[in-house]
Amino acid sequence: MNDPNPLERRYRRLLAFYPRGFRRENTEEILAVLLSCAEDGQRRPGLAASADLIRGAVRMRLRMAGQPPRVVRLAIRLMYAGVVAQLAALAVYIVTLGRVRSAVSRRYPGLAAAQHALNVNVTIHYIAVPVGLAAWLFLLRALVRGNHRARFGLAVYFAATCLSVLIAIGQESAQLAPADLIAGGAQWLITLAVTVLLFTAASSRYYRPEPRPVIPWRGTFGTM
Amino acid sequence: MQEATYLILTALAAGSQHGYGIIADVTDISDGRVRLRAGTLYTALDRLKTDRLIAVDREEIADGRLRRYYRLTPDGQQRLAKEAARLHANALAAMRRLQPGLA
Repeated sequence: MNDPNPLERRYRRLLAFYPRGFRRENTEEILAVLLSCAEDGQRRPGLAASADLIRGAVRMRLRMAGQPPRVVRLAIRLMYAGVVAQLAALAVYIVTLGRVRSAVSRRYPGLAAAQHALNVNVTIHYIAVPVGLAAWLFLLRALVRGNHRARFGLAVYFAATCLSVLIAIGQESAQLAPADLIAGGAQWLITLAVTVLLFTAASSRYYRPEPRPVIPWRGTFGTM
Repeated sequence: MQEATYLILTALAAGSQHGYGIIADVTDISDGRVRLRAGTLYTALDRLKTDRLIAVDREEIADGRLRRYYRLTPDGQQRLAKEAARLHANALAAMRRLQPGLA
């Protein structure tokens, strides 16, 4: 079957990356502009136009509620760095697993016991890392949207990170898995910095539990 | 204020315009140096609406498609005037130093 307007269909696909509320409000208008800018007989969006639409969608999704102060903007940037740090820590863990296994075997002469200890550790890591990353992303999304309760969620997350570092030290990670401990320490530092920044007076004013201005396509700020 | 935002506000300073009109006007104002694309334009328009610097003036249907006109709000006019004065003062300072006898 012949597609009556392949360019419009392809532009609609690109616009699907935008938040739902924004699409509902603006899709037809943006399409009109995109089609007005198109050349005669054009069937596909150009590379630059596609990149521009995707960049706009990403910006729209990452945009913060209201007018955040500098400390909040810095904290949110650090949280993005924290996502990278967590993925890097997972990569370090996977890459150094063999080395850690050898170190544990040397440390514990009884191989069965060493294997058991390591298997437990591996299982904990494979569960804890994705859960931690998911929680971090959830908090990031809530904080970007101006949710004041998310700050307290972050404080709990920081407490859990402290506990995890203490457990790692208790398990002789400094000797058995130094790279993992350094990666964990970097995450802990980022979480500490974000927590401190988000509990300053300026941040508290921004995250006060009052209704924020309503954006037509997004609804009231401050809701998750 | 980013240059694209400044040029969009400038495009709306003379009266309300729709999206395609703003793109064409910005190209004209900047002598073809800045060519806004739809993604950049609507991200900026959304932010400017949120900041109450612009507002929707009216909507029309042209060739079966929605055309929405935007206008500057009093806050937007004030902000643009302030930014223009700042840029003018900077430009003047630079010209004075480059060509002491002329500026």
